[in-house]
Formats: sequence, C-alpha cells, structure tokens
Amino acid sequence: MIDFFATTPFRLVRSLAAAGQNTPSVYLLICEAAAMNAVRADIAAEIQVQLGFDPRSLAALEAQPERLEDAFRHETARPVVLLSLDLWLPKLIDSFDRNVVLLTEVGTVLLLASPGIAERILAVAPNLRNRLTDVFSIKPEEALGEGRA
Amino acid sequence: MGTDLKSRPAAFDRRLVYRPFLERLRPIASLRELDERDLIVPRGHDPCDERQPPIHVAFADAAELSPGTQMALVGGIGSGKTTELLLTQRVLSRHSDAVNVFVDLADYADLNELNTGAILATVGMRLFSRQKRGSKAPPEQVTSAHTKLCELALGKTTWVPIENWPGYDEGEERVRVDVPGLMRLRLPALRREVKDVKELLLTIASPLLASDAQITLLIDGLDRLIRGERFREYAGQDLQALKGTRMTVIVVAPLLLWYDKSRFLQDYFDVLKHIPAAAADPSDSAFLKQILERRGALELMESAEVTSIAKYSGGVLRDLLTLARSAAEYAYRDDQDRIGRKHVRAAIRQLGNRYLAGLGTAHRLHLRRLADDNEFRIGDPTALELLVNRQVLEYVRHGREFFAVHPALAKVLPKRP
Repeated sequence: MIDFFATTPFRLVRSLAAAGQNTPSVYLLICEAAAMNAVRADIAAEIQVQLGFDPRSLAALEAQPERLEDAFRHETARPVVLLSLDLWLPKLIDSFDRNVVLLTEVGTVLLLASPGIAERILAVAPNLRNRLTDVFSIKPEEALGEGRA
Repeated sequence: MGTDLKSRPAAFDRRLVYRPFLERLRPIASLRELDERDLIVPRGHDPCDERQPPIHVAFADAAELSPGTQMALVGGIGSGKTTELLLTQRVLSRHSDAVNVFVDLADYADLNELNTGAILATVGMRLFSRQKRGSKAPPEQVTSAHTKLCELALGKTTWVPIENWPGYDEGEERVRVDVPGLMRLRLPALRREVKDVKELLLTIASPLLASDAQITLLIDGLDRLIRGERFREYAGQDLQALKGTRMTVIVVAPLLLWYDKSRFLQDYFDVLKHIPAAAADPSDSAFLKQILERRGALELMESAEVTSIAKYSGGVLRDLLTLARSAAEYAYRDDQDRIGRKHVRAAIRQLGNRYLAGLGTAHRLHLRRLADDNEFRIGDPTALELLVNRQVLEYVRHGREFFAVHPALAKVLPKRP
C-alpha cells in the first residue's frame, strides 16, 4: 500500500475543528482491519469531545447505493458522517463515484476503510478520489505514541 | 479582588488564521457565494484557442442568438466544467426574459441506473416551480400537466380491483412481434414514456415559450457516467426530445467521448467545447495563480509556494484547490502561522500518492514511457483509462494537443528498474 501520512483520531478531529463546519469535506481514512473498531470508537469520542456532537456512524451495508440521499442527508445538529467500509461493495463505490455531489453536501464525511479496500476505491472511483479532501493512514492514539497535550 | 476579564488580552486562536482561507477553497460553492466573495476568475479566452472568446461567452452568445441550440462541454474531472456552466448562467441572466434551469442530475435522479426521461422530468418540475413563484398562478392545463408529470416521474399508488389487473387474464391471444426495419437510425426512436414526458414538459413550458422567453437548460453531472454509451442513451432520448422546442441545452459530457472514434459528440451537438488542463506555461500559470491569490493565498504563503502549487496541480483546478487546502492543514497541524515549503511539498506528495494508488504494472509502464520517452497512444484502452482517471493530463498549446503525466504523480512515480 502507498505510504499516506499517518494521523490519529485526535489530530484528525482537531483539523476538522480548524476548518469549521462551513467547509464540507470528504476524507478517506485507511486503517488496519483489526484496529477498525477501536479507531471508529476513538473518532466518535473525539468528535463528541472536540466538536460537541455525536457523528452519524454507518456500516457499509447500511448505505444503500440507490438511496444515498438518505445516508448523506444534511443534519444541522450532526454534520459528520462516519462510514465504515469494512466490505468491498462495488455497487456502493460506483454509486459514490457517480453521485459524489451528495457526499459533498452533507458536511463532513469520513470514509474508514482497510488498506486493500482503500486502494481499490482510489483506483476505480476517479470522481470520488478527485473530491477527497485528503487521504490518511489512521491509527489509534497509542500506536503513534502521542499524548493529548 | 476579582480579575477584570475584559482587560485580558484575547488568547491567540490559530484556527482563525486558517479557517477563512479553507472556506474560500471550497471547490464548488454557489454562484451567489462565489460572486459575493469575488472568487471566480474567468478565463480570458477559449482554453483551446486564444483567438476565440471564453467558453461561457460562446455558450451564452449561442443561447441568446439561436434558441434551441444543443451544446456540450467536455473536460476531465476537476477541470472547471461546473464553473463554466455557472459563468454561462451568469451571463445569460443579463436579459430579463432569461429562464435558466441549472441542474446537477445527481441531485434529482439515481445515476446508477439508466434513467432516460429523467432530464425532461426534472426540467419540467423546475419550470413549473418557477412559474408558481411568479405573481400569477400557472394556468390550469399547466398545473394538470405538472401533476401528471410528477406521477409519471415519481410514481403513484392506486388501488384497482384485481380483475382489472393487466396480468390477471392469462388468455391473451396476441403477442408482440417486432420486425426490424430497413433503415438503421442514427439515434433510436423515442421511448413511449419519454414521448409522454416530453408532451407534459412542453405543456408546462408553453406559457414561457408563448412569451418568447429565453429558456436555457444547463445540465451538470452526466460526465460522471464516465462510460460513453450511457451518455449516448440520454442524448438519444432526452436531448433528442428537446430538439425543435426552442429550449437551449448545455450539457457536460464524459471526456472519454471526446476521444471516441465514432465522433458522437462532434456529430450530435451544434456547439462542442473542450476544457483541457491548464498548462503550466507562463500565461496559464498566471491564471492558476490568480485563482489562489483571489482566495487569499498570499496572506498565508510566499509567492514561490503559490507557484509551486500551480505547477504541481497540473492545471487541474480542483487539484489546485486541494493542494492549497492540504498545505494549509499541514501547516496548522504543525502549529505554524504560515504555510511553508515543506507543507506544500507534503501536499504534493499526498496528491501524487492518491494518483499512484491502485495502479498496476501495465499502468506504471505506460506512465514511465510517457514521462521518459514522450510515448502515449491514445487509442490504447490503458492509456484512455489513465487519461479519464487524470493520471495523464491532456493539454493544448497553439492548437496542438499533447499529453503529460500529472506532475504530482510524476513526483512519486517509481523509476524504471
């Protein structure tokens, strides 16, 4: 896998706070499958602490390719969607690619994927890739040896 | 004695240094917002021909002088097609009788499935809501046509006695037999449902057409179909249905069709424009730098960094904004008040890695041949894939087209073993 910059849930959410809620963004976060649950929980906790609300957490199977507007509808009180792409669902990724404007209207979208799935997304979804705000390799806080200063 | 809070100096908040800049870097904002903030930098001429007017001016002129013209805009992902449509809309609005309908089809219809008739239905609904907002209520036949259109487009639920259900009687004696005709039509006949939607649309538009209003439909999003055959289906049905209606159409089309041997775009559309990537020569990079400067880049970085971002964007406008945004975020994470060279370099490497991910041996070989030997055969499927996916960019200089590896990707592309 290509070597993308590493970040942690704390640092990621800190930069979301810096950008503010008026800047819609879509991040692809690459995470080892074994650490995915821990990272997802950490991101949710950081969003709660730093931004003051709970994100909308979805699993890949909950986002229906033909009903993306439901998964990515704008909610003023919860403008962050955390979607775990724990399975390779080509129809869903194809739908993201064709209807990418729906993802960019919601606020902040965090796509959490294993290295293999992330690489396939970048290869097959050029519209989505072009609208990604950034791609990070994300690890639990302790993995990067960072405290919360 | 209590501390006087008001006399304390305000704590420095670095977020406020970067937040306005990041907000101005949003790739697509509304036209009103872009206008109010004076963020649009129109090109001074057609990007393929310096002697021709800018694309939005050419489109607006054609729409104003020849109502009913069908025009297409083709360009790679992130090349600025939506901005050109927005600019066209702005120019067209100079006439009080202008009725401009701007739609990104993905906002209204599921682009995963072939959805012919969706353009006509969407336009009909938008034209109706425009008339409804006017001072006079729409005529009865228009309201009725709109109701039928909504039923046709969005479906309805009715209850029928089971004996009336079409599949109930199994004793049918006739079956449909299609005998192919002698002539092979260039475009297929309109489907029955598309014809129905067209009639309803024309009824809804009739008050506007009767008053000779200048109706222009600006349709974004169809370029994301990527594959040409799906776009052709829309053109063969929805756009074909609009021919002869005096409603002008401007549509964005997939880049792949620009290079298609069938020359479908060139044959079908009355006006066809292409936006290549803006080459990093002095004139074009001035355009690219101006886009960043208009968004306040020089408040946060030196001119050398602006130049570097312009160069490594490859002239892809969305990549230009992405690089600036990433560099700003890295500087913020680095607890710096200004964006430095290392932040820009890091942003370039990240962008290059995005383009590198998922490329197989054959792709890399093609890229190395282009980078090292300037060899690139556009008819090759792998070459087309690289072009559509923006690993390779198309440029036009002095009327001649040439290709280059995206400069951010070139920076991280492994050398030949």
